[in-house]
Amino acid sequence: MILLDRVTKNYNKRGTALKSITLHVEPKEFVIIVGPSGAGKSTLLKLLTREEKPTSGKIIVGGIDYETLKDRKIPLLRRKIGVVFQDFKLLTNKNVYENVSFALEVVGMGNKEISKTIPKVLDIVGLTGKELSYPSELSGGERQRVAIARAIARQPKILIADEPTGNLDADHAWDVIRVLEKINKYGTTVILTTHNQEIVNKLKRRVITIRDGQVVSDKAGGKYK
Amino acid sequence: MGRRLTGFRRVTISGIKNFFRNSWLTIAATAVMVVSLTIISSAVVLNVTAKNAISELSKNLQISIYLKDTASQGQVTQLTQDLKSNKAVASVTYVSKADAQKQFNQTFKSDPTLVAGLQILGTNTLPASLEVSLTDLGQITRVGAVPSEDKYKNIVDSVTIGKTDVKKTIARAASAQHFITLASIIMAVIFALVSMLIIFNTIRMAIFTRADEIKIMKLIGATPTFIRGPFLIEASMYGLIAGLISSGIVIAGIFSLGIKISNQAEFTATYDFFTSARIIAAMVGGSIIVGVFVGVLSSLLAMKKHLRLKTW
Repeated sequence: MILLDRVTKNYNKRGTALKSITLHVEPKEFVIIVGPSGAGKSTLLKLLTREEKPTSGKIIVGGIDYETLKDRKIPLLRRKIGVVFQDFKLLTNKNVYENVSFALEVVGMGNKEISKTIPKVLDIVGLTGKELSYPSELSGGERQRVAIARAIARQPKILIADEPTGNLDADHAWDVIRVLEKINKYGTTVILTTHNQEIVNKLKRRVITIRDGQVVSDKAGGKYK
Repeated sequence: MGRRLTGFRRVTISGIKNFFRNSWLTIAATAVMVVSLTIISSAVVLNVTAKNAISELSKNLQISIYLKDTASQGQVTQLTQDLKSNKAVASVTYVSKADAQKQFNQTFKSDPTLVAGLQILGTNTLPASLEVSLTDLGQITRVGAVPSEDKYKNIVDSVTIGKTDVKKTIARAASAQHFITLASIIMAVIFALVSMLIIFNTIRMAIFTRADEIKIMKLIGATPTFIRGPFLIEASMYGLIAGLISSGIVIAGIFSLGIKISNQAEFTATYDFFTSARIIAAMVGGSIIVGVFVGVLSSLLAMKKHLRLKTW
């Protein structure tokens, strides 16, 4: 599903963010990436969504080789990858329904199909009945679940969650993690980055630890120390 | 196909919404565009009017060479060729004695005593003539001097060169036309640049305001067309509305001011021309096309500089 082969990323000003990383993620896997701030986690995710290009090395996601991927095909790649951010990135002037619908409109889905899809995804993230609420009227956990609904509405093969619980208290954080587990159970590959030790240790999933731009450990059922 | 249509509809709706979202900027951008377009179309109208008036007046500008009855066909041909050798000569028409009489009768048909008077004389005393029309006012004296040369003494009776007051009027109109053309080109360029700058800024503001939305759109797989589309539609709206308003102003001007001078011979044809349905449609269409072009161009420049779709 995801293959990184000796991937290095240098920034002119900040120096090397990733040093020859090699990783392999199977379809339907749930992978947690941990590491201190500045270790290179965000760079790794940006390489996967093709916001950044590697300085060297090979990246293949869902059979697409990024080296030969033309710029105009990037939107099609992004449609296969759902992304969730720490700061939600919801549109504050749109309500829950519109925020999710926006993501589907962008990819050209018809209105009828949209109105059928949205109730289903809102049900998955547990927000049925909140369609008309605006982000400012929701709790942090709810906002993040709207963001997840938006990311999964297009049924991506991969869901990247970049510190989705970073701004949430423990209860809300677990709400979000449970939704991610549910999505993974339905067959979506989930890549989660987090600082939350408790979550990592309780989830008992594959844990990849990155430090100073290098993979220092990669263990199934791993722990965050 | 269905998806494309849905996409196009969404882009259009979003562009129209943006247009109405920032009402002050919208009004400013549209107003400046109206001024530019009005100047451009007024310049065109004034130019055409001046040009037509000049050519209408120039019709009066003729050299009439009255020939002696003794002039032979060969001599007349010789003179005609000599006149035609000057490039400023548009045409040389031979008016025979019989034609001259017909013209006389035609001109004075409302005055039977004059016509009868000519008949009393018994013979046709009107001379044959060569009517020379010119394309260049500056050459009139030179061409006028040709039949006065010694070799034509035997065949040329007299020469009449235009009316001096007509000459002066035409010269004034021509210099006014040059001034109008120059001034209007300068004004049109200045205002077109100002309106481009304002639309550029309007679109730039719109891009900044919607930065988050654009970033999310990029991340969830919107195509560049889908992101650019609304801005292009918004900019086209400025052109469309400004085009309609400005052509409205110019057409209203033609009808209200033009009617006052439309009964003067030199303006009649021009007034009829500009008030015909075909030309009105062309003016409205032309203004909209120019407006949309200026709008789209400025918005493309703004997007190139600020949308950063290169780093996808």
